[in-house]
Amino acid sequence: MAAVCGRFLEPAVVRGLAQASAARPGARCRYFSSSALLRANSGEPPKFQPPPKPVIIDKSKVVVERRFLSPEFIPPRGRKDPLKYYIERIDMIRRRKVLNIPEFYVGSILSVTTADPYASDKTSRFVGICIQRGGKGLGATFVLRNVIEGQGVEFCYEIYNPRIQEIKVLKLEKRLDDNLMYLRDALPEYSTFDVNMKPVPYSPNDEIPVNQLKVKMKPKPWSKRWERPYFNIQGIHFELPEEIMEEAQKLSQPWIKFDMLREYNTSELEKKIWNEVNEKLKK
Amino acid sequence: MPGWGLLCRAGARLLAGVPGGPVQAAATGTRGPWRFIVRPVNSSTWWDEHLSNENTQFLKQLTAEEYRAQTASKLCPLKDEPWPLHPWEPGSRRVGLVAIKLGMAPLWTKDGERHAVTLLQVRDCHVLKYTSKEENNGKTALLVVGGKNSSPFHKSESALEIFREAGVPPKQKTTIFKVSDNAIIKPGTPLYAAHFRPGQFVDVTAKTIGKGFQGVMKRWGFKGQPATHGQTKTHRRPGAISNSKVSKVFRGKKMPGKMGNIYRTSFGLKVWRINTKHNIIYVNGSIPGHANCLVKVKDSFLPTRQDCYKNPPFPTFFADGEEELPEDLYDQEVFQFTDSSVTYV
Repeated sequence: MAAVCGRFLEPAVVRGLAQASAARPGARCRYFSSSALLRANSGEPPKFQPPPKPVIIDKSKVVVERRFLSPEFIPPRGRKDPLKYYIERIDMIRRRKVLNIPEFYVGSILSVTTADPYASDKTSRFVGICIQRGGKGLGATFVLRNVIEGQGVEFCYEIYNPRIQEIKVLKLEKRLDDNLMYLRDALPEYSTFDVNMKPVPYSPNDEIPVNQLKVKMKPKPWSKRWERPYFNIQGIHFELPEEIMEEAQKLSQPWIKFDMLREYNTSELEKKIWNEVNEKLKK
Repeated sequence: MPGWGLLCRAGARLLAGVPGGPVQAAATGTRGPWRFIVRPVNSSTWWDEHLSNENTQFLKQLTAEEYRAQTASKLCPLKDEPWPLHPWEPGSRRVGLVAIKLGMAPLWTKDGERHAVTLLQVRDCHVLKYTSKEENNGKTALLVVGGKNSSPFHKSESALEIFREAGVPPKQKTTIFKVSDNAIIKPGTPLYAAHFRPGQFVDVTAKTIGKGFQGVMKRWGFKGQPATHGQTKTHRRPGAISNSKVSKVFRGKKMPGKMGNIYRTSFGLKVWRINTKHNIIYVNGSIPGHANCLVKVKDSFLPTRQDCYKNPPFPTFFADGEEELPEDLYDQEVFQFTDSSVTYV
């Protein structure tokens, strides 16, 4: 209805204003540019002033600043005193002020430089895809995987280890799963990443792209039976016969998602910790 | 119930009194214990069974305020007539602390080596009682130290007496420390984590996690029997317990039984770091006990670890003294997170 009114209002408004300005040529009209003013001030013909560019506020696309709290800040469910996690968080924030630990997810490609006493230039650099993020507090780890000269290599780095000198995100993206351990049984092309690849730029406010890639696997046997519903893997293109898939589905436990004892709602905790962490990081 | 008392006394009078009558007839032949005649009195009640809700709330608030006032009044031990302070001499033993095991965390040294440390928090630790060496055994004096504050309502009167005399809220755990005469402290002084310093070694005693009644394989590490090859109903049993020559089972034979929930000590644990603001001690390695359990911490007795006690805070660290300690005290080798990353040259 507003749109309909708008369509009818605009010419009417314009006509009305035109009439008003025509009636009183010296009158200042807010809806037009300062051409009327110039006309009023001096008798010379006014310079052409282009009308001001319209400011289009597209309210359908709301820009929300992405709030990312690293998962190791959220304490696990348990009986430990929250003071212990608070003390650990203080140390984690101190380390983050010295070393920039960027936001990354499982599926992003990172490059990590660590201090190595046995290397010639005392540093060692490794590039790989993050397949797992584990641990809470100061002992949080992430595993990077790459295939170097045909050999699959995995490195488990501790995020707060003082030997780490630089963590760089070369490609920030998410995958369909939280845990990409199945890449060990996938074809090696899915785990190979160029060691000298150029970082892909990303803006801090964009949504993180989710890579919908479905990975093809090596022939069975695998290290784990990834087709089983316990792992809940979305990112594998299973080419197994249907009988095996049906047998696997027999082991599904659909009642688990209704189990209230397994619920762990961290939203309140996350908000508090987010505020606390941000305040301290700004200091 | 007042009625039971009267009945008991009546029953006692019957027994003690005239022979013959209903008493002797009931206990046929032998004069059995009088419990066969009068039912025993077992009145167990908890502190607020007979109190109204308002009274319970009031008592709780009252005790809380009282204990807060008591703790506040004990915050300046050096200002209200402490016992004479003596300097440290080689051979003197000082008090220990009662701490709460918070959990474990990693710690890195400047060489990049990773160690696992246990966090122990010293919460409301006070000295409760002093027994001089003459009262004790003629050789060493004793100091009773209490740990975390707890409610007075589930403690016996005899236990509450000690806390009342010291002027301190009731504690959850009390331990006894053998102390040399130059290290005695006035009851009521608070003890802090800065009593220990980074670089020294401590012994930590606590009750291990209780596992309940356990079989011989878990409790003593026996190998058991094979799973297959004809074993009939014997896979986790102890097997033979003795031989025929001895024809008896020795005392102390390892058998199934209750495992855990006993006091055990870890010796010679290095203190890496002290947080004076939250009173937390970072101790190397693991400690017996579950998270949030109360532990007893004291200077290590190991002869190879005695070098670090040249200048300890003696007899203890007084928070209101002249020493102004920084918030975190680190050992020399510990990597502090405010430093830049470790590099090798």
